[in-house]
Amino acid sequence: MDLETLNQQIAEIEADVAKKVGDMQAVDALRSLDTSILGKKGTLGSLIGGIKDYPPAQKGQVGQTINAAKKRVKAIIDARHAALKQAAVSADSAGAMAHDPTLPGDRPTMGSVHPVTAVQWEVERIFERLGFTVEAGPEMESEYHNFEALNIPASHPARDMQDTFWLTNGSVLRTHTSPVQHRSMKKFGAPLRVIAPGRCFRYETIDASHENTFHQVEGLLIDKDISIANLIAMAKTLLNEVMNREVKVRVRPGFFPFVEPGIELDMNCEICDGAGCATCKRSGWIEVLPAGMVHPKVLEAGGIDTEVYTGFAFGLGLTRLAMMKYGIRDIRVLNSGDLRPIVGRERQGGAVIVSREP
Amino acid sequence: MLISLNWMRDFVDLPEAIDVHALAEKFTCTTAEVETVEHLKVDARGLIAARVVSVADVPNAPHMRLAELEVGAGATVQTVTVAPVLPVGLSVVYAPPGASVAALSKIGTTEVAGQQSCGMILPGDAIGVPMAIKEAIFLAPDVTPGQSLPPEWFDDWLIEVDNKSITHRPDLWGHYGIAREIAAITKLPLRPYPVAPLDELQAGSGREFKIEITDPEACRRYSGIVVTGVPTQPAPLWMQLRLGHVGMRPISGLVDLTNYIMADLGQPMHAFDADRVDCIEVGCAKRGAKFKTLDGFERALTDETLMIQCRGVDVAIAGVMGGLDAEVARDTTSLLLESANFEPSIVRRTATRLGLRTDASARFEKSLDPKNTVLAIQRFVELAKPMYPNLKLTSPLADCYPAPLPKVTVSVKAKHVSRAIGREVTADEAGALLAPLGFTLNDSGDVWTFDVPSYRATNDVSIEADMIEEIARCIGYDTIEPTMPQVSLRRVAPHRLHDLENAALRHWSNGPGFREIQAYLWYNSEWIVQLGYDPGACLELRNPAADGLHRLRHTLMPGLLGAVRKNRFHFPAFSIMEVGTVFDPASKDDVSRRHLGLVMARRGKKSEDALFTELKGYIEAWSWQAFARPAGFSTVEACAGRAWEHAHQTVAIRVGDVEVGRASVVDLSLRQAMDEHLGAWGIAWAEMRLDVLADLDPVIEPLGRIPGHPRVELDYSLLVDSQVRFAEVVSQLDRFKNDLLKQIRFVGSYEGKSVGAGKRSLTFKTVIGCEDRTLVDDDTTEFCTAFEKHLAGCGFDVRR
Repeated sequence: MDLETLNQQIAEIEADVAKKVGDMQAVDALRSLDTSILGKKGTLGSLIGGIKDYPPAQKGQVGQTINAAKKRVKAIIDARHAALKQAAVSADSAGAMAHDPTLPGDRPTMGSVHPVTAVQWEVERIFERLGFTVEAGPEMESEYHNFEALNIPASHPARDMQDTFWLTNGSVLRTHTSPVQHRSMKKFGAPLRVIAPGRCFRYETIDASHENTFHQVEGLLIDKDISIANLIAMAKTLLNEVMNREVKVRVRPGFFPFVEPGIELDMNCEICDGAGCATCKRSGWIEVLPAGMVHPKVLEAGGIDTEVYTGFAFGLGLTRLAMMKYGIRDIRVLNSGDLRPIVGRERQGGAVIVSREP
Repeated sequence: MLISLNWMRDFVDLPEAIDVHALAEKFTCTTAEVETVEHLKVDARGLIAARVVSVADVPNAPHMRLAELEVGAGATVQTVTVAPVLPVGLSVVYAPPGASVAALSKIGTTEVAGQQSCGMILPGDAIGVPMAIKEAIFLAPDVTPGQSLPPEWFDDWLIEVDNKSITHRPDLWGHYGIAREIAAITKLPLRPYPVAPLDELQAGSGREFKIEITDPEACRRYSGIVVTGVPTQPAPLWMQLRLGHVGMRPISGLVDLTNYIMADLGQPMHAFDADRVDCIEVGCAKRGAKFKTLDGFERALTDETLMIQCRGVDVAIAGVMGGLDAEVARDTTSLLLESANFEPSIVRRTATRLGLRTDASARFEKSLDPKNTVLAIQRFVELAKPMYPNLKLTSPLADCYPAPLPKVTVSVKAKHVSRAIGREVTADEAGALLAPLGFTLNDSGDVWTFDVPSYRATNDVSIEADMIEEIARCIGYDTIEPTMPQVSLRRVAPHRLHDLENAALRHWSNGPGFREIQAYLWYNSEWIVQLGYDPGACLELRNPAADGLHRLRHTLMPGLLGAVRKNRFHFPAFSIMEVGTVFDPASKDDVSRRHLGLVMARRGKKSEDALFTELKGYIEAWSWQAFARPAGFSTVEACAGRAWEHAHQTVAIRVGDVEVGRASVVDLSLRQAMDEHLGAWGIAWAEMRLDVLADLDPVIEPLGRIPGHPRVELDYSLLVDSQVRFAEVVSQLDRFKNDLLKQIRFVGSYEGKSVGAGKRSLTFKTVIGCEDRTLVDDDTTEFCTAFEKHLAGCGFDVRR
């Protein structure tokens, strides 16, 4: 066979393979095609055996030609093989036994902090960004820390049995976080920027909106030239951050023995937008922040030089804030230990809960 | 406290068409919080006075009566009424046919219970006066039948001021004090308080009666006068209406008049029958004495109760309530009228102890202006003269004021005012702002001096900061431009315990999946009895929220177990925690402590071992992550009384070498005692002292190195008696020292047939190596020999 004929024959074989492979759907058929072309006895494979009939000078070229052809044919078959495999895989993954990618994930057991803790952390972060330090004070306090150091004299109504839990050892359960004002002044001196979140106790009948055990956060800033204008600015910043919106506020006089002047900061009622509703007792305003300039007697009791330093203080009801933020209607749920409000919350309209809880 | 706008107009010329809501808002932002504003619109038209001529029963209608009324010019009408009391001769408020009030349907002539009824006698509640059901309003004797009643008396605006916002302002407990603020807010003049001249009182005929005050600190001032010519008769209609509008029920002319002055000036008054009380002594009650107050109740007195006495006989509880025996009665001809000033805390204590908080005691508690005692009597005479034509002052004014309060002057540094308000304030501005409130600016240099009016000088305004507040609120807080403070930077140490608490809550809620709960600070007696827990000595509340809630907790466990019981209905498994305060009354230095309590609960029999293992694993992980120390558990004896400590499973938890708490599982009998369904649950718990953990010095553990030469791992399974605790085995292994030994790791524990009954196999992996060369066979052999010798010495069989 001369070279030209050989080339022609190879070309025919290649054309034939290309044609056959194009329609081939089964991997088995592809395999037998592979054997019938490239196998030792195959149309291309058997050509190798004919090399010996060529003159020595041509042998090398013939061999290369045949091998190159084999490589090309092999590539065509392999490509088809890969395509068939791919098709089979994708046919599998779309089949009835395939994984449903919309199934929910396998969730680890989840925990949670108390809603008041969550709000407390938020407030702590806001103040830490403003350079405040976070302090804590004891829940059992001496009369001195809870009252006297805060300019609440023995005759003040707050010291009645009605408002305070008294202990048999003469101490009280603190009625506010304000004792930490005095403790911080003693501990750090001036200038000072501190907040103190914590649990407080009042002798009060429990109902949907009153608890005898609740959380507050105290704020105190003492420095040179501190003014009411500073207090109002700080209070507005705090409320804007906590409520995550521009809050409209109203400042009015308020009376607390440990501040002078004392103010009450009211926030525009979110529910009725100031029109008056049940939540704001028809006033359009919600009392959120009792505050004031620290009373000189409180500063003096804390060892602060009132000629050099002034300061402001405020108290924020964390429990109330948590109730507003999370839409808690009944305060009693917070100390009940009942996990239902947190875990497996019922969805409006009974929407399907797909995630596994808890 | 309710404020009547009609009343207010006596003192300030408010514009007729004033926006009351805007006025109230301004009052809130300047003075004290207004709770509500209400327009009382009685809309009375054509009401007249009518005199009761006769009253007859209506057949078959026991609640009704037929009244004949004189309605002017000798004419009479008959009307059916349900008014319960209707004395002949008295005049009532009557609506003739054609008259109208908003609350009632058309008034005409109708037939009621078979009787013709012309018009109607108006019940108080139909015209804005809170009377007992259907009671009529009686008119003073000077009205003539047929006289028309001015409609403008009936309509009013009522402003309710929050009582809590005026506790520090004794001057605001009457209309005149409120009027002073309103005058300042509206920049309108305030009329002088209308009173009879003092000379007139001092010129009373007869002898001055004696007043004796034992303790001038308890009773600062006591004033009185004796009057005659005050017969029992109704008060003028305008007065009854105003009292009604502010929520006080009209009773009789004299009572209404003293009540009116209380709501007018804020000064309570009292009238005694002068025939029974002809002198006054103010002193303490005898211990154990009993006293019958006006309301008919007998009250037990203590030797701290301040009393008004006459010749040693108690006649009133000072500042709280008068006595029944010396009460003014119908036959009283001569009255001893008094007004006094008491130490607020004494009145408050007495009222609280007796559970008898009256309008009077509420005011005395506020530290009233002693000047008001005389002013009130002057006001009484001024108002009584037109009411009682035969009024006579039959004694001169008696006034005992042993230690007059000094005039109060407050100095204010000008720069402090500007510093506090955040802008320049001049003396002129401050003086002008405060003049309408009665403050006089005397000195206006660098230090201003203000004379404080007497009605603000009883505790309320005494120091510079008080004056700054007055200036600030009159400037208006809403006009102060908010500016962020300029502060000095300084470093303060972190609060380690607080930081640890936050970190612990974050850790345990994130990875291990615990849910934080918050329980009460006190035990619930019923629950701890159910738990079989005897807490022993506790810190106790003197006034618990309820019976059985008096003991403060030493441990968080009862609260957490209570939550387990509550939640077991709703969840098949849950882990809960609490960070809270507990108390150890026996401790000298740290009675109050902070604990972390952890509880894992899961439905399923035999789940407790797995839960306990899981919980201990979490504790080990936390110990490493938070404290860079290993956690260890050693068997301890269960604490007697703490039923949640399992008799054989309780361990002490060590972090590093510090004992920080305990852990255990809850045994079957306690689970069943908690709730029968919990019998099929597993409950594991741990409680740790956060205050102790916060004191651990921070440790930074350096990272390990990647070994330069290969390590060899050798596993050893030790066969021990089941009774031998893991912790003991570990402490034995810890004693083995060898230079090649790099690590011993626990692999697992196995009990089963292949190890034989009563035995347990504990498998450890030893890792040996050398820093500067690769180990050779001899090294391994040498190590094994040494280690196995140690094991044999400890009595452990090595299982091959």
